[in-house]
Amino acid sequence: MSRPALIVGALLVVFGLGVFALKVFRYDIPLVVAEGVGPWQVELRVNVRGSNARGSVRALLPANEPGQAIFDENPTSDRLEFAVREQEGGNRTGVWSGAIGPIHEVVYAFHVQMSAVEVPLPATGPYLDPPAPIAALYLGQTPVLPVAAPEVRKQLEALELPTMKDLPGRIRTLFQWVANEVDTVERSNDDALLVLANKYGSESGKEHLLVTLLRAAGVPARIVHGLELRADATPRERTFSEVWIAERWVPMSTSADGFFARRPPNFLVLGRGSVPNVEATAVVSVGHRYRSLREHLRADEIANLLTPDNAVFEQLSFYRLPLPTQAALRVLLLIPLGAVMIVLFRNVIGVRTYGTFMPILISLALREFSLPRSLALVAAVILFALLLRRALEFLRLLMVPRLSIMLCTVVLSVAGFALVGDSTQNAPLFAGVLFPMVILTMLTERIFITSAEEGVRAAALTAAISGAVAATIHPIFQNAHAEYLMFTFPELTFCAMGVLVWIGGYTGYRVSDLLRFRSLAHDPGAEAP
Amino acid sequence: MLPRELETRGVLGINARNQRYTLRVNERRFYPLVDDKLASKRMCQEAGIPVPRLLAVAEVHAQAKRLLPQLSGESAFVLKPARGAMGNGILVIEMREGRMLRGSRVVSEEDFIYHAAGIISGLYSLAGHADAAMVEEKLITHPEIAPLAVDGVPDVRVIVYRGIPVMAMMRLPTAASGGRANLHQGALGVGIDLEIGVTTHAMFRGRTIAKHPDNQRALVGVAIPSFDEVLTTAVSAAGRSGLGYVGADVVIDARLGPSILELNARPGLAIQLANRAGLGPRLDAVDEALGPWERGEPNDLSTEARVALGRAVAHASRPRAA
Repeated sequence: MSRPALIVGALLVVFGLGVFALKVFRYDIPLVVAEGVGPWQVELRVNVRGSNARGSVRALLPANEPGQAIFDENPTSDRLEFAVREQEGGNRTGVWSGAIGPIHEVVYAFHVQMSAVEVPLPATGPYLDPPAPIAALYLGQTPVLPVAAPEVRKQLEALELPTMKDLPGRIRTLFQWVANEVDTVERSNDDALLVLANKYGSESGKEHLLVTLLRAAGVPARIVHGLELRADATPRERTFSEVWIAERWVPMSTSADGFFARRPPNFLVLGRGSVPNVEATAVVSVGHRYRSLREHLRADEIANLLTPDNAVFEQLSFYRLPLPTQAALRVLLLIPLGAVMIVLFRNVIGVRTYGTFMPILISLALREFSLPRSLALVAAVILFALLLRRALEFLRLLMVPRLSIMLCTVVLSVAGFALVGDSTQNAPLFAGVLFPMVILTMLTERIFITSAEEGVRAAALTAAISGAVAATIHPIFQNAHAEYLMFTFPELTFCAMGVLVWIGGYTGYRVSDLLRFRSLAHDPGAEAP
Repeated sequence: MLPRELETRGVLGINARNQRYTLRVNERRFYPLVDDKLASKRMCQEAGIPVPRLLAVAEVHAQAKRLLPQLSGESAFVLKPARGAMGNGILVIEMREGRMLRGSRVVSEEDFIYHAAGIISGLYSLAGHADAAMVEEKLITHPEIAPLAVDGVPDVRVIVYRGIPVMAMMRLPTAASGGRANLHQGALGVGIDLEIGVTTHAMFRGRTIAKHPDNQRALVGVAIPSFDEVLTTAVSAAGRSGLGYVGADVVIDARLGPSILELNARPGLAIQLANRAGLGPRLDAVDEALGPWERGEPNDLSTEARVALGRAVAHASRPRAA
């Protein structure tokens, strides 16, 4: 290796490691993460259009309560005024108000440390009557809880409920009837009476029916709005119920993945009562979406990352970026590791693959999937395209149109997989993935040309090697520790660059050279200086 | 240890070739001249270096149809990409009874035009850029080595470093290589003693052999006809190219004598296997004889002196009798 390459590489590595060591030892940024202990980062993004009239946007905001600790709340108001209102009944509402222009985007981001909540039903009585404030708020009829409707009364009679002396039995009977006898149908009705008549309804409809029946049976109950937080996926807006018994509220959900007397650790409570999660007045249109991201750090460690003691590191912390940007960066920062692997394979081992960075792009696109499934998917798409390529040979098309037709096939086969995945209730195949279709198309063409020029064996061998390289790179893109390290310590990218400079200046043999020329090593007839 | 053994024998690996030679002495601006066969042909013609005759060129799709009419009366020709790599995309055609044959397979006019269109689209070009399809005459193998040639035209690859020929091998097409002279496609590599122009070792798919796999003829001890001219032709062409590390492919044509088929700025390393010798000591000896390399170094040695130096270098690196 030349001296300049050695020195430049060393400078890069030393710089990267130096910053890294400073952050680890001086500022106590943790090196390793524990799986599934960290808080969630959640973000609500509301888009609102108005005609410059005064209006407002309201959103339910989560509050501290058993099972959830909110911290680091961070609202942005986009030219509107923002205020938090604590309402009667415990709901917190964020209100953005002002003259609503053609487009506003307001964001409410926070961290929340979640834990499971267990509220068992009491085993024995006596069960006291609910205190007057509870009874006043949670026993009566409302427009969406038709407690006094004759159908509801009739249903209660038909169910032959246990008496008030066995309050837990009464609650269980009602819960089980709604959970088991009423089907959950997504996007169907959420009116309690219609759900009762049809024996099916949406999740919200079933919960409204349950609360209606409970109240009619003399048990205080209320609707809860929440988010089901999911790692690497958009959170789902969920509705469940709470029942008042023996001085406490007991959570329950009648949906297919429901729960009773406990709340799973990924169910975040946004608010209670019959209010929408987001609503707006005097606007033309309003839309919202939630995003969530699972942290692998403890809450105190997160706080340290958000505001390290050093002003420069604080400015440079990626943890301050909006969630979608963070999510993208977490993946992008893994690419340098993939690049180092590629360079090792090509310049130190000396294997021949199709397309220099193809294995990285394929692994990146398929990081949501397990390795065997990823390889099977890519192989299937390429196989389709190869068959078509063979058929197209008879038409003698010009190259660019021919490649474009293959690109269409690749797009169609990816679309086909999405359909198959959906109908088999499988993980959403290819969903939301910017699959490198062009790369796959060119790959197919290369395989076809190689098999025509150098034989099917040579083409299959190169394809197999490419697959093997992709297979060794794929786990990097799925590794939570690698993701954490590269995202938290982006200076490690300089180390990767230093290693690349070193390999770039490496003049020694590749493994492939050794294999190729090994016969020259022990050959007495060979020339030696 | 294997790496140490290879190093003692001066075997050059790909990383070392790129780092120490091609990246150092091959200036990027000279690459187009060798990567584009039309340009290198023009360059050789201007210098009076023999090259196969150019019969027709198609640079855009519309011209692909007009290639064949320009070839009437030719008995054999080669369709190739002007900027191809590793022998890909080359179609060798023999005319027999008015039909085009590739080996024993009939090639229709549509096949020919389709292949030319693929070339123009850049299917075989180095970076996938649009390319030109060129047709040149098929050279006729010199009768002395014709018996060794199966299905194609053999050539002599000469590595020329800083204007000095350092190693040579004959590349013989085989049935396996489909008439192409590229080793990775299954052609034979036959090492040549640079001093006397006689073949020394032969290699097929990385293994040493003594006889041609297709016709069992002896491959070792064959004298290369007009070998002196092979070397001077290679040295002249390499000198014109401006590149410091070149593989010159010379075909010994029955009528033209040694002619330049193409030049290569990144010549392969299998020539070391064919010669059972590493390139390292010879390249070092050239550096020692000429002093440190400088950009645009002067060309004050005559072609003959260069060939003589190359032979002296080859002689010096011969194995000593025990």
